[in-house]
Amino acid sequence: MIMADDKDVLRDVWFGRIPACFTLSPEETTEREAEPYYLLLPRVSYLTLVTDKVKKHFLKVMKAEDVEEMWFEHEGTALKWHYPIGVLFDLHASNSALPWNITVYFKFPEQDLLHCPTNSVIEAHFMSCIKEADALKHKGQVINDMQKKDHKQLWMGLQNDKFDQFWAMNRKLMEYPTEEGGFRYIPFRIYQTMSDRPFIQTLFRPVSSEGQALTLGDLLKELFPAAIEDEPKKFQVMIHGIEPLLETPIQWLSEHLSHPDNFLHISIIPAPSD
Amino acid sequence: MMTGEREPPSCFLDEKTFRLCCRLFLQHSESIQDGWIWEQIKGSDEGFMKKTVLVPVKSSLLDKQHESIQAENTELLTDDIEADAEDETAGVDAVCESHAVLRYEYHVLYSCSYQIPVLYFRASALDGRPLSLEEVWSNVHPNYRQRLKQEPWDTLTQQEHPLLGQPFFMLHPCRTEEFMKPALDLAHAQNRRVNYIVSWLSVVGPVVGLDVPLTFSTAVSAPD
Repeated sequence: MIMADDKDVLRDVWFGRIPACFTLSPEETTEREAEPYYLLLPRVSYLTLVTDKVKKHFLKVMKAEDVEEMWFEHEGTALKWHYPIGVLFDLHASNSALPWNITVYFKFPEQDLLHCPTNSVIEAHFMSCIKEADALKHKGQVINDMQKKDHKQLWMGLQNDKFDQFWAMNRKLMEYPTEEGGFRYIPFRIYQTMSDRPFIQTLFRPVSSEGQALTLGDLLKELFPAAIEDEPKKFQVMIHGIEPLLETPIQWLSEHLSHPDNFLHISIIPAPSD
Repeated sequence: MMTGEREPPSCFLDEKTFRLCCRLFLQHSESIQDGWIWEQIKGSDEGFMKKTVLVPVKSSLLDKQHESIQAENTELLTDDIEADAEDETAGVDAVCESHAVLRYEYHVLYSCSYQIPVLYFRASALDGRPLSLEEVWSNVHPNYRQRLKQEPWDTLTQQEHPLLGQPFFMLHPCRTEEFMKPALDLAHAQNRRVNYIVSWLSVVGPVVGLDVPLTFSTAVSAPD
């Protein structure tokens, strides 16, 4: 059940923003210099969905023949448009000064990034994540029982930044049989930049076989024990830019701190060495 | 996955059974030199099956008229390559344009979310240039192309490889259950046990140019 106070959490998550400064790469050939472009980015959206104005701004100084697909980089790392913006920030820039400095390119790195030619590619990706999350939570029964227009409502809610429209439908994906105590499995992904592996994702039940509610700490103990070591603290465990208490039940996190794609995206980053 | 003699087999595959099926699959592949290997992820017990195929094509990928010929040549020339190393070099030189030889890499991964195997692949020219979705699409046999366009469950999309992080193409797993069920039920009715990976790959592989020799169906056993 989602209670009144919890709804504030849902709103805070939805309306989270990150100030960013976009600069054109000096490697791009331009007819004249372009001013940097400043933009507030929604944490829960995707780069290619919210940067039309950035593209328009920089296209003004580019020659048409030099323009392939626009893509972004931060401090040498190509930013994956198919990851939610907040996840990219937490993973690559949370301990740097604001605004988030992003370099814009128009020559596409085929080997590293997925193509994003149209918004329908973003929609397909978004819906695919929601379906996978529901496969884990409800064996896909809730999403499959929804009509096409319901699926569309989820996407339009995200695209147009409409919290109420989105959650009117999404709340169905957050329900579970009371006697179960939670979802079948929790949809989550753990990201880190210390190895090549993009993320860790496995089957994890929110309730133990003895009926105990499992916590964030329990999840990490199983999949990334180094992250919960305290002496010394080597890592930060970040969700939506905050470090939740390890005692937080994973079921509650899944219901309240998931992204609109219904996944709990957890970033593990090296703790800043003050 | 068989839970008992009388119960019909599940269309889903647990991870343990996936690995067992792969192990048996790989044993046969080795015996006929079909090129499949198991790639383990460093520092974990996760891995996947992988096969790389060099596919010479007679003419430009974008030349629509030669597409069906290409599909046939794919099978013929793969055998030729395995035959004789010297001849292979000569053959490659003769048709050498930067896009005249393609490198296809197929990966079989396990999806814990859907509890089924998933096929990922990528293709590149010999100079390393990755093929676009359009180019890959045009290399799909015309018979399958129509089906792919009509059936959303067979959709080919670009995805991030979940273990390697690089762009790959993936055949969507959404309706695997639908086509595996008849195959599994039939085998059950005939008192045959099947190797899930063999049955599954024999259906999805050819759609994207991957040949699974018939001996796999007869020689590879199901896990106990």
